[in-house]
Amino acid sequence: MTLRAVSLQPEPICVSPDTSLLDALHLMLDKGVNHVPVCDGGTWAGLVDINDILYELLPVSARGEHGLKDLRFVGDGVSLIAGHFKDLANKTVREVELHDLPTLDEDTPLLEAALLLHRHVAPLPVLGADGKFKGMLSRRGLLKHLITKVGL
Amino acid sequence: MAHSPAAAAIFGLSPLLVSLAIFVLTYAVIVTEKINRSVVALLGAGLMVFAGVLNQAEAFNGIDLNTISLLTGMMVIVAITQKSGVFQYVAVKAAKVVKADPWGLLVMLSVVTAVFSALLDNVTTVLLIAPVTLLITDALRISPYPYLFSVIFASNIGGTATLIGDPPNIMIGSAAGLTFNDFLFNLAPVAAVIMALTMIPIYFIWGRKLHASAEDRALVMTFNERESITDARLLKQALFVIALVIAGFVLAHSIGQEPGTIAMFGAALLLLLRVYDKQAEDQSHAIHHTFGEVEWITIFFFVGLFVVVAGIEKAGALEFMAHKIVEWTGGDFTVTAYVILWVSAVLSAVVDNIPFVATMIPVIQSMGSTFTPEQIQTLWWSLALGACLGGNGTLVGASANLVVAGFAERAGQPIRFLPFMLMAFPLMLGSVAVSSVYLWLRYL
Repeated sequence: MTLRAVSLQPEPICVSPDTSLLDALHLMLDKGVNHVPVCDGGTWAGLVDINDILYELLPVSARGEHGLKDLRFVGDGVSLIAGHFKDLANKTVREVELHDLPTLDEDTPLLEAALLLHRHVAPLPVLGADGKFKGMLSRRGLLKHLITKVGL
Repeated sequence: MAHSPAAAAIFGLSPLLVSLAIFVLTYAVIVTEKINRSVVALLGAGLMVFAGVLNQAEAFNGIDLNTISLLTGMMVIVAITQKSGVFQYVAVKAAKVVKADPWGLLVMLSVVTAVFSALLDNVTTVLLIAPVTLLITDALRISPYPYLFSVIFASNIGGTATLIGDPPNIMIGSAAGLTFNDFLFNLAPVAAVIMALTMIPIYFIWGRKLHASAEDRALVMTFNERESITDARLLKQALFVIALVIAGFVLAHSIGQEPGTIAMFGAALLLLLRVYDKQAEDQSHAIHHTFGEVEWITIFFFVGLFVVVAGIEKAGALEFMAHKIVEWTGGDFTVTAYVILWVSAVLSAVVDNIPFVATMIPVIQSMGSTFTPEQIQTLWWSLALGACLGGNGTLVGASANLVVAGFAERAGQPIRFLPFMLMAFPLMLGSVAVSSVYLWLRYL
């Protein structure tokens, strides 16, 4: 069985690399999703994760490998986060790291798709035969299909 | 030292030429930074043995295990202690003591960095101080650049002050039999003076222009440093062991012990305190994790270098170099001390000071026939001051500089090579000039 049989997320949304992070965040909140795929002229370009946006709001000192491990001592430091919100409007999704995800196509076997989904924290892009972006395969989408077709 | 017949026979070349070729090749590849320095040093060490310059026993004899144990032991102690949040506590407390005044903050952070760097390795110190510095400057809405610049300077100056502050001092102390107290009495005073004098140009360049609003300063005053102590039990254990180890260093000479043993014993004691009440499996996990945080790249780099240097030493190259220096300075002690100080400083600004010091140690040792033991001791101070302070000259002068630059980059205030050097190199030369005066007044 391949991915051809599985329905992807309805009405695939895709933003251009020039979208601001603030707009991407609004889209995620409106649609109730944690990731937004990025397409450059219909071609898959990558993914913005809501965690990437949260990262941009953290104080610089707490970002990355050797950043501060806890910020409890700062107390109510909301002003430190607030200061970064305007950065979201000025930064485009092109500038944040797009996850380097494996791509799937309609001929990908379901077992392979299940393994790849398990190994990556995000849903995975499915491309058509022409290489154009078709939609995202989420864990929910795959499991929903499996439980009705091969499950109980 | 007599050359073994096998060595002389290798490739039909003299061991001197073979060992020098391996030495130059090793150092050249280290300088390019294309291949990890620990791998290059270990390959060079292997070649010294395969080429017959040294046999394995001689190679192992060249490795200064006192330096290796002191470094490893301190790394274990620091890896455990840093999890207690004590460094964050001190930095935030320091900011609040000066009421978050921008210039006061800069002075306090520099002093804190210098003191920690004197007692810990510089890279660890800046890894702990730089994030807190960024957080406070972020809250005060002022540029972090002057603060990070001062942290770099303070870490290298502070590291000069003690036996354990900087790897060159550990090597020199171990090779020359100089104690913790010798370093403290001879180098700490001049390091303190240099630190104070360095603040003057920093004040005129940046300090007098720093300004933060009352509102932002009030925000910093609401920081609660007590909240940074995440594990009070760990803090007590770590401070207890560190106090014990430093007392051990101070008393080392009178109790007839070497720093390597003291540091390693302290590390084992702290590990014991951390795991004695745990199950066997949890013990293994915790200790495995702590050992994993030791910077093995640095340790193996030292191991390889010691063997490479032992190779050229046995072949007689370093004794030859010592004779050349003495010949060139006309056997004049003052000139020799100054040449060592200034050449060490300028070279350490551009290349890693560890291989340089590893090479210079046997060179100075073989000057024993020309100078008195007291004079040789002064040469050790020249070497230590030059090698440690030189690290301030450029961004690549010390690993700690690059760590700070990494944080600055992330904060959107990158420290670039040339602008840093234009400011730092003259300041570094100033600190070496102060050291020259100090040497003149006290020893020459």
